Amino acid sequence: MKPALEVKNLRKVYEGGLEALKGINLTIPQGSFYGLLGPNGAGKTTTIGIITGLVNITGGSASVLGFDSVSEFRQARKLIGLSPQELNFDVFFSIGELLELQAGYYGLSNKAAKERTTVMLEQFGLTEKRNSRARELSGGMKRRVQIAKALVHDPQIVILDEPTAGVDIELRHMLWNYLRQINKEGKTILLTTHYIEEAEQLCETVSIINDGNIIVTDSPEKLTQAHGMSGLEITLTSEVADLKLDPWLYHLIDGKIHVNIDHPEKEMAKVINQISEQGGGIENVRIYRSSLEDVFLKLTGKSLHEEDEKFETQEALLNV
Amino acid sequence: MFSRGFWVIVKREVKRFMFLYKQTLLPSVISSGLYIIVFGAAMGSRIGEIKGVEYIHFIIPGLVMMSVINPAYQNSSSSIMQAKFLRFIEDILITPLSGLEISLSYIIGGTVRGVVNGALVLLLGYFLTGLQIDNWFLTFVYLFAVAWAFAGAGVIVGIYAKSWDSIMVITNFFFMPLIFLGGVFYSIEMLPDFWRNFSMINPLYWMINGLRYATLGIAETSHEFSLGISILFAIFFSSLASFMFSKGYRIKT
Repeated sequence: MKPALEVKNLRKVYEGGLEALKGINLTIPQGSFYGLLGPNGAGKTTTIGIITGLVNITGGSASVLGFDSVSEFRQARKLIGLSPQELNFDVFFSIGELLELQAGYYGLSNKAAKERTTVMLEQFGLTEKRNSRARELSGGMKRRVQIAKALVHDPQIVILDEPTAGVDIELRHMLWNYLRQINKEGKTILLTTHYIEEAEQLCETVSIINDGNIIVTDSPEKLTQAHGMSGLEITLTSEVADLKLDPWLYHLIDGKIHVNIDHPEKEMAKVINQISEQGGGIENVRIYRSSLEDVFLKLTGKSLHEEDEKFETQEALLNV
Repeated sequence: MFSRGFWVIVKREVKRFMFLYKQTLLPSVISSGLYIIVFGAAMGSRIGEIKGVEYIHFIIPGLVMMSVINPAYQNSSSSIMQAKFLRFIEDILITPLSGLEISLSYIIGGTVRGVVNGALVLLLGYFLTGLQIDNWFLTFVYLFAVAWAFAGAGVIVGIYAKSWDSIMVITNFFFMPLIFLGGVFYSIEMLPDFWRNFSMINPLYWMINGLRYATLGIAETSHEFSLGISILFAIFFSSLASFMFSKGYRIKT
């Protein structure tokens, strides 16, 4: 089966010499929910831009269900729906007209465009706003219109660039549920997001991109296992002299024992037994596990959230 | 030949200028009406006839061309500039439409506006002065070819421009002088040699001269050459516009 999206040795050098993509490779299977994570300027939007025809290619290739994004752009672009990060709307038309026009650009007949528009408006709770202009809508509603526009021609592949940026939690969860639903129905979804939780919740596979290179690709679980840390944080009622926890290493931080273990749930009982046998009393045991955010920070040296820099990760704590 | 998406952009372009009719249709009708009243009725009686036609009728083809050239140019240039500026041009760039289809759809949108404006001024000429058209078909051909040429120029400028000023610079510093020096209000035979020779290298003179032949049946120079110039410019500007769109010049990064 052909991959939904395939990028081979993709390069992009902008005027002025900035090399935004340095020969990246990506294979996104049909029906998958795929995340592309990276800090600002990593190359996410450039990659999406090349796939969708917004950015000219410098080298390599991108294909959509086997159709080359340049030489077979008609077939390729018909299969894709894009929701860009920025909320930009044609200012002359109502929401209903915008959706009908967008469907028409993709070749839908008047009747089909009207039907799909009605479906999308209902799906995103915009039916009452059909005759409103985009400028009259709240930020959350504009985001719904943006995503409805990407889906109005019923594409097989949906590319969402920061789809929940600036939306409230209720809408975010509504969108998550909808995206899960259309993914289950067979649509391939490529998502870029600043919200790590979003990637953890939704994506089966994640690629981390930094400085124009794909650093790593795997499922969020495997990434945290391979590149993160997990273990037990144990608070003792009384200190134990010369505590030995064979075969594990531990650190004593703020009077608490931190034991690094790959599978803390399985090993917890053995650790507790060893402490008890050496006369230690246990007040509290907590399992800690690195998040995808920690993995991202470790691999890129950057946080996805500039404003969240103050957040201390578990690993940072262990390195004190 | 063209996909359905292509015609949807054309429809969008036409709906846009119809929606903005107070800015896109009425001004040229009002200004042409004023020109007819002030230049034609007030001064016409003193000037008398030119080439055997009343002065008030002599100026109408030039006024029609003014009403075709500027709106056709403004339509495509401002529509593209606005789409670029507000970035909703991406809605079209991501669709399965080729650069040729996108540029031609903008050109047709501008052409329709130019032809509608020209037709409205001709209608005004009929009501205000009793103008009778000599050759309807050729009149339409001239309106269409000239509107197409300047809608094409509008696409080129719309793509190239980085600010609204650039669009107005072309109108104010190129089109308006060329229109006024193109024999709208006079026969170039009335001019001194220098200005007569200058007019002969002004393409707008030939276009106005051609339309004057089509509407009034009089021409100072070869009407066939005028038609050739109009069609040549239409082909040149639309080809360049399509090339720029296909390459993504200043539209794609």
